[in-house]
Amino acid sequence: MPAIVSLSNVAKDYPLGKTVVRALRGVSLAIEKGEFVAIAGPSGSGKTTLLNLIGCVDVPSSGEVTIDGRSTSALHDRELTNLRLHSLGFIFQTFNLVAVLNLYQNVEFPLLLKGHHTAAERKKKVEAMIDKVGLTPQIGQRPNELSGGQRQRVAIARALVTEPKIVLADEPTANLDSVTGQNIIDLMKALNDTLTTTFIFSTHDQRVISHARRVIRLVDGVVEDGAAQARGAGG
Amino acid sequence: MRGSMSLVLVRTALRNLVAHKAKTSIVGSIIFFGSFLVVFGTALLDSIDRGMSGSITESLAGHLQIYAKDARDKLQLFGGGFMGGDDFGAIRDFKPVREILEALPEVKAVVPLGLQMVTVMGGNEIDQTLEELRQAVKSGDDDKIHSLAVKLRAMADDLLPDLERRRHIARDKAEIENQLRDLARVRSDAFWAELAKDPERGLTFLEAHVAPLVLDGRFLYFRNVATDLTRFPRLFDRFELVDGQMVPPGEPGILLAKRTYETWVKNPVARDLDKIYQGLTTQNLSIATATELADAARRLPRQYRRISFQLAVEDARTVERELRRLLPESTGDLGALLQDFLRVDDDNAVGRYRFFYDVIAPRLPLYTVPVGSDVILRAVTKTGYFKAAKVKVWGTFRFKGLEDSDLAGASNLIDLLTFRELYGIMTDDKQRELQGIRDAVGVKDVAREDAEAALFGGDARPSSADATPGTLGAIDAVAEIAAAKAPAPAVTFTPEEVDNGLTISAAVILKDPSRLHQGLAAVQRAIDAANLNLQVVDWQTAAGIPGQLVTVMRLVLYLAIFIIFLVALVIINNAMLMAMVERIGEIGTMRAIGAQRSLVMWMFIVEILTLGAIAGTAGALAALAVVSWLGHVGIPAPNDQLQFLFSGPRLYPAAGLENLLLGCASVCLVSLGSTLYPARMATRVQPVVAMQAKE
Repeated sequence: MPAIVSLSNVAKDYPLGKTVVRALRGVSLAIEKGEFVAIAGPSGSGKTTLLNLIGCVDVPSSGEVTIDGRSTSALHDRELTNLRLHSLGFIFQTFNLVAVLNLYQNVEFPLLLKGHHTAAERKKKVEAMIDKVGLTPQIGQRPNELSGGQRQRVAIARALVTEPKIVLADEPTANLDSVTGQNIIDLMKALNDTLTTTFIFSTHDQRVISHARRVIRLVDGVVEDGAAQARGAGG
Repeated sequence: MRGSMSLVLVRTALRNLVAHKAKTSIVGSIIFFGSFLVVFGTALLDSIDRGMSGSITESLAGHLQIYAKDARDKLQLFGGGFMGGDDFGAIRDFKPVREILEALPEVKAVVPLGLQMVTVMGGNEIDQTLEELRQAVKSGDDDKIHSLAVKLRAMADDLLPDLERRRHIARDKAEIENQLRDLARVRSDAFWAELAKDPERGLTFLEAHVAPLVLDGRFLYFRNVATDLTRFPRLFDRFELVDGQMVPPGEPGILLAKRTYETWVKNPVARDLDKIYQGLTTQNLSIATATELADAARRLPRQYRRISFQLAVEDARTVERELRRLLPESTGDLGALLQDFLRVDDDNAVGRYRFFYDVIAPRLPLYTVPVGSDVILRAVTKTGYFKAAKVKVWGTFRFKGLEDSDLAGASNLIDLLTFRELYGIMTDDKQRELQGIRDAVGVKDVAREDAEAALFGGDARPSSADATPGTLGAIDAVAEIAAAKAPAPAVTFTPEEVDNGLTISAAVILKDPSRLHQGLAAVQRAIDAANLNLQVVDWQTAAGIPGQLVTVMRLVLYLAIFIIFLVALVIINNAMLMAMVERIGEIGTMRAIGAQRSLVMWMFIVEILTLGAIAGTAGALAALAVVSWLGHVGIPAPNDQLQFLFSGPRLYPAAGLENLLLGCASVCLVSLGSTLYPARMATRVQPVVAMQAKE
C-alpha cells in the first residue's frame, strides 16, 4: 500500500536569539492509509513539530514532506491551505472551537469552507457526524456550555466531517481526565475502523500509546531506532 | 464568496460583536456619533443653504447676476464697501443685454439693479422748527411765529447746561464761549424783536449758529437699489408692500425698506421703546439681564430732546400736564419730566410704552422722512462730486420672512432714472436745465490745459466743445443746489427709458432654478457671443460675504467631521487590533482547518461593516429624529444675521435621503478604512499558532 504520509530526511530548526534550536534532525518515515499511529516521546522531543510539518501548518528547514502524494515544499500558502482543507483534519490539545459558534456551526464550518455541498447535504453530514460522536442532544449548545470531553468530541466531529484522508491529533487527551481520555481514544479507534481514515496523534501518555497500532518514538528530534516501531498491542 | 459562507460571516460577526461588548460599545458609540454628526450637520447646513438661497434669490439677487467684466471689485449685493467705495463697473446699455438674455430658453426675466449709497439730509429738530419759522415768517402768521419763538427759546434754554459743562472740559474754550454767546442772544427778547424787523437776518443767524449745536439726526445713510419698480415686485416673490403705495409706473420715487424705516428713520425714543417692549413681551427678555435692552433703557433718558424739541408749544403743555399726572412725585420742567418718564425698568416699561404711544407719539412726527413726503438724496457721482435729487417716498416694503433681518432690510428700492441722475448721467431734460443755469450764472467749461489762461488771463477762449469729463463735476455742484431748492420733479418716463440706459448689474431669474449651472453656462455663452463685455456669477457669489457663509460653515463642519473621523479611525483601528490579538488562536485554528487569508480578511470587514451598518443607521435615524423634531418646532434665529441665513425668524430643517446616505456611507468608509490594517495583520496569522493555542 502506498504511503499517504512520507518524510524524507526532514529537519526543522528554530532560531532562538543567537542560537538555533534543532527540533527535528533528519526524520524519515512513512505512514500508510488507514493507520492509527501514535507519535510518542518526552516533552521537547519534537512530537508537535513533526505533527505541524505533516499537517502543513509549518514547513521543514530541509528534507521533504509528502502528503497524499504531494510534496509540500513547492506549495504556496493558498495550495497548502487547500491541502489542509481537503486532505487533513485537526484535533487540538485545547480543542480550539470557535467560541461564538454553537456545536452544529463549529462542525459545519469546514464544510462551508469547502463549499461543495448544498445546505441539505451539509445538514445531513453534520448531524450524522454529531450523532457519531454522541452529541446530538447538545447540538445547539455553545462550546462554553460543554464539558472538556464533549468539546473534544466536537473537535473530532469537525475534523472528520469533511472526510479527510488524514486526521492529526496533538495530545488529544492531555486536557481530559483518564476516563474521558479513554473514551476519546476509543471513539477515534472506532472511527478509524469504520471510516478507514488515517489517524496520527502525538502523546506522551503511556495508556494512550498502548492503544496505538503503531508508535513512532521521538527522542531529541530523531526517530528512535531510526525507523518506525510497530506495536501490536492495539491491533 | 458563497451565500452560505456570507451568512456564517455575518452570524460570526454578530456573535463576536455581542461577545466583545466593551469593544463593540466603544466602536459603536464612535460610529453612532459620527453618523449622527454627518446627518445632522449636513441636513442643517442644507436647510440653511436652502433658506439662504431663498433669502438671496427671492429678495434681490435672482439666480444669477451679470455685471461689467472690467469691474474693479467683486459684486457684493449684501454688505460690501461703505458709501459706494466698491467699483462694480457699469452696464452702459441695459436694453440689448435684456433682449439677448430673455431670448434664452433658460431665462425667465432679467431685472436691472443699480447699487448706490446715498445720504439723506434728515434735518434735526431745530432745522425742522426753523423751517416752520421760515414758512410762518413768509406767510406772516404772527401767532405761529410767537409759538415757534417760545419753542426755540426753550430749546436754547435746554442746550445751555450741556454747553456749560462742555466749557469746563473743552480744550478750545473760545469756541464754546462763542456758542454760549450765541445761545444767550437767542434767549434774549432783543433778538426776537430784531427778527420781527429783519426776519431773513435772524433766520440766517439761527440756521448758521444755533442749528449746528444739535448735530444728531442731520444725516441718514441709505443703501439704495435702483430697479425697474414695475417689474421687480412681480419677479421677486418675497417683495411685500407694507405702508403707502407702489411707485406709479413711469414716475420717480423711492420705497424705503421697512427695517431701515423703523431702525434709522423713526424717532430714536420710539425705536428704543419698541425694542424694549418687543423684548419684554415677545422674547421673554428682561432689562435686568438682556444687554441689548439694558443699553436701550440706559440711552432713553438722554434722548428726551428727541421729544421735547419736536413738540409744538401747545402739545408740549399737554404732554407736560399728562406726565405730571403720571409721575406726581417728579418735579421740574418738561425736560426733567421726560427724563424721569424715560427711566424705564422691567416693572414700568410696558406702561411707559403704552403711555408714549397713547399720549406723546400722536403729537410727534415719528419719522424723519414720513411716507408721502419728499426726500433729498445726495450721492457721490462717478466724477467725484456730490449730486442731489429730490424724490417722493411712496411707501415702505419688506421681504417676506426677513422682516427682522438687517441684511435684507438694508436696501431701499428706487427708480432707475433717479439713480442714473445721482450716478452722474444726464438726461436730455437735465442737460437743457443745466445749460439754462450755466447761461444764467456764466459758467464755462475749461479744459485742464486752458485753466490757467482762463483764470488768470491769456488768449485761450474755451468753449463747451473743449469740455472734458472732469469738468462735469462743476456742473454737478450747481445741479445739487438746484435740486435742493426745487420741488420733487413731476417728470414721468416710459418703460423704454428704464431699459435704455445704465445699470450696475442685472439679476437673471431662471425658469428652472435647479439647473443653475446650466443656466449660468448658457448666459455666459450668450454674453460672450454678443461681445457684451460682461461677467456672470451665481447668487451665492453675488451675495458677497453672506453668500459665502454657508460655504464657510460647510468647511468648518467638514473639518470637524474630518477630525472626529480621524480620531475615530485611530480608536477603531486600535480596538480592532486588540480584538485581532485576542482572536489570534481562533484565526490560527480557522487557517489550520482550511480558511484562506481572504476569508480572515472578510471576517473582520464583515464584522466592522455589520457594526457600522447597525450603529451608523442608528446614528442616522437619531439625527433624522432630532432634525424632524427641530423641523416641527423650528430653531429660533437669535439675531438678524441668522434670520437672514434661516430665511426667517426660525429655521425648520429637513433631512433628505442624500443626508442619510452620506451619513451611512461615510461612517462605513471610515470603519472600513480603520479595519484594513487589523484585518491585514489577521491574514498574516500563521495556522501553526493553532497548535500553540491555550484555552
